[in-house]
Amino acid sequence: MIDLRVEQLDEKRVRIGGLTAMLAVMLREMPEILELRDGPEASARLFPNPTAADDKINKEWQQMVSPELRHLFVSAAEIVTRDLTAMTGDNGDPEVYEVTFPVEHLSAWMSALNQTRLILAEAHKVDEEDMERRDFDPQSPKDLAVLRIQLLGYLLHLFVELEDDNESADRI
Amino acid sequence: MTPSNATGQPGVIQIVETVTKSELSTPWNVVVHNDPINLMTYVTMVLMRVFGYPRAKAKKMMLEVHNLGRSLVWSGGREQAEHYVHQLHGYQLLATMEKSKT
Repeated sequence: MIDLRVEQLDEKRVRIGGLTAMLAVMLREMPEILELRDGPEASARLFPNPTAADDKINKEWQQMVSPELRHLFVSAAEIVTRDLTAMTGDNGDPEVYEVTFPVEHLSAWMSALNQTRLILAEAHKVDEEDMERRDFDPQSPKDLAVLRIQLLGYLLHLFVELEDDNESADRI
Repeated sequence: MTPSNATGQPGVIQIVETVTKSELSTPWNVVVHNDPINLMTYVTMVLMRVFGYPRAKAKKMMLEVHNLGRSLVWSGGREQAEHYVHQLHGYQLLATMEKSKT
């Protein structure tokens, strides 16, 4: 049973709590996975062409825009990597972890989580059908990648919900 | 992108790129494509953030992406289309721009 939660502690801090040992490991391994962003599969997905068939525009884009995007993605990864060093036990429970970080890092967290999911999906050729499966073979690297994509996706979903709450509160 | 400046120096062949009025006025479409990984809630949030769309409109477009494989999310000038595709790629959405056929 996962009691994963994302909460805004105050105006300045966000906390991810209820991290099981497995989730904590998955988060700690994110920086390593993010380093794979420049591999051929991941790079084609993270830095796609802007047109389907215009070679001139695509070439210019890859020269001018993709390096800028790469810089953005690397920055997000660095922020999250630093935040992860502050991961501690949740309420003193050695089996459950939490991590608290500044609210300005929310976008970096969302970016890094999604980058990780996309890199894993490309590396293991995960498709729509794989994403709908609920049975996982613990001996299969692909199944473990899908499980990781799902769990990190759940955390990303909690971040989106938090952003929605914040935007609703801003409108009131 | 903008054509390069002519130098006007003797012995230098000038290649001038011309852009006709009709090309300038042809709108560009920004299209978001389906992918199996991006969350539906995440895609909706991105469309709201990038284009300032209300939730209902963003959600309708997201469902179009999910069910039909793609959704035309914006149409207009080329520079602005490039800007939006850049932003969508920043959020890791699969997005392209294409000249409108109309």
